[in-house]
Amino acid sequence: MKLYQRTIRDLHKMLVDREISSVELTDAVLNQIDAVGDKTKAYLLVTRELALRQAQAADDRLRANRDVRPLTGIPIALKDVLCVTDVASTAGSKILRGFTPPYSATVVERLEGEGAVFLGKTNCDEFAMGSSNENSGYWPVHNPWALDRVPGGSSGGSAAAVASGEAIAALGSDTGGSIRQPAALTGIVGLKPTYGRVSRYGLIAFASSLDQIGPMTRDVVDGALLLQAIAGHDPRDSTSSSRPVPDYLATLTDGVRGMRLGVPKEYFVAGMEPAVEQSIRDAIRLLEQQGASIEEVSLPHSDVALPAYSNLARYDGTRYGFQAGGGRNIIEEYMLTRQQGFGAEVKRRIMLGTYALSSGYYDAYYLQAQKVRTLIIEDFKRAFKKVDALLGATSPTAAFELGAKTQDPVAMYLNDIITIPANLGNVCGISVPCGLVDGLPIGLQVIAPGFGEEAALRVAYAFEAATEFHKARSPLMGAAA
Amino acid sequence: MPEPESELSSRQVEHVARLARLGITPEEVTRYRDQLRNILHHIEALNRADTSKVPATAHPLEERNVMREDRREPSLPAEAALRNAPSREDSYFKVKAIQE
Repeated sequence: MKLYQRTIRDLHKMLVDREISSVELTDAVLNQIDAVGDKTKAYLLVTRELALRQAQAADDRLRANRDVRPLTGIPIALKDVLCVTDVASTAGSKILRGFTPPYSATVVERLEGEGAVFLGKTNCDEFAMGSSNENSGYWPVHNPWALDRVPGGSSGGSAAAVASGEAIAALGSDTGGSIRQPAALTGIVGLKPTYGRVSRYGLIAFASSLDQIGPMTRDVVDGALLLQAIAGHDPRDSTSSSRPVPDYLATLTDGVRGMRLGVPKEYFVAGMEPAVEQSIRDAIRLLEQQGASIEEVSLPHSDVALPAYSNLARYDGTRYGFQAGGGRNIIEEYMLTRQQGFGAEVKRRIMLGTYALSSGYYDAYYLQAQKVRTLIIEDFKRAFKKVDALLGATSPTAAFELGAKTQDPVAMYLNDIITIPANLGNVCGISVPCGLVDGLPIGLQVIAPGFGEEAALRVAYAFEAATEFHKARSPLMGAAA
Repeated sequence: MPEPESELSSRQVEHVARLARLGITPEEVTRYRDQLRNILHHIEALNRADTSKVPATAHPLEERNVMREDRREPSLPAEAALRNAPSREDSYFKVKAIQE
């Protein structure tokens, strides 16, 4: 097996045993980026020199056996919404072209502390608004399983990088499904932690009360390792929780015997591909055979999944990034900069948000949406009185063709219909590979209560340990020399 | 209060774009009008839920009134904060006139 095809856990052992060095490993991954990067377009920026410098430092640390951590020397990709000091960060938007942040996100500092290696910034939908990565201000990403298909979004570049061997693991962010859905569509594991579990300091915001940063990995163990490294309170993010972070590996392999797992009947939505539904039903049966008790539950407000309104009013091109120039006054300058700097989806959402918040419509849209959010939170609370975790599909379909839904925003929004409730309901969720439909991967979603990441990981691991789906590798990762 | 389901007009789209400080072309006005009508129609599903006795959730936090100690700490140097400014004067961001 090639180095870039392996998991964090495998590579950690090889690094510690001196079978390989981090520089060798990083070189192997950078070479894979050179070989297939033109096909996937997963990266907006490859930080080759930084990566090799960090790999060298990791090797020193490994050689001296000084504070060696599970991620020491492991090459990781970062979604472009995460700020890294002096590394261009655009959030996939032209309006931030040329912006180099003067500080790093807390998750970035934590990974630096672990001795991880940063490969670069991955492509994403502009300001993380999208479900196909086609809203990137630069170029779309192609799915390593079939290059004419989308990788999902908005963390599509991170997903494609992990699925093509262009990274060992990646960080993404999830506001309505942006980690879980692309993970499902590219055959990897993606975890959205509970809001407050991971610091958002240094994350370029989309919807501040919904965004969470989380791991995108080849398997569930790697997901637990990466979450462990980034979770916990941060004084710089007052919305981060001071709850202690459990040892995620300690309970990972406990199995599902005796667990109560719920199947929300509303998650089998109209428009779900029959083959996806069949795979999910098979996955549920498998977990039952593993000793879980399965019961149907109801989340009656699932069908009123909400559009999230953005807080982008502050991107005005004055303090950083792109400025159009040529405006006669500041208002004209704002309008020109934003006209040229933002893509269609971001403009659409800014206008929708402005309209919904404008006089006369606030109660009907925004306030009503916040009340529906309460109902969704109550749905989950009721369900979690009866069961330990919920099971369903991550996405109603496998990856669709590039261009198939770009003209129809509503059809595009429906991709997130079974991932958005977890963000609104303030619970956590993980997607784990559960099969191939016509050669394209799909995911099983496990949703656990707020701060119940241990339960989500434990169920996902039990499923993974009993199946081979996570071992399938995309043609691009497998075929490359 | 206007009925939210009343169809969005081109004039409203232009007004909203101006409020949002977003320059848009006449073709975009028509395209966004049609797309936003469609999205608003979809959002009306919200009204299927009975929320007459439901409080709104603005955020999901358990913690309240998070404070830090009132203590001086190093902050971002002005030079670093201004480094990305398209235009500056001394240690200020320089912008076009707000009033003519």
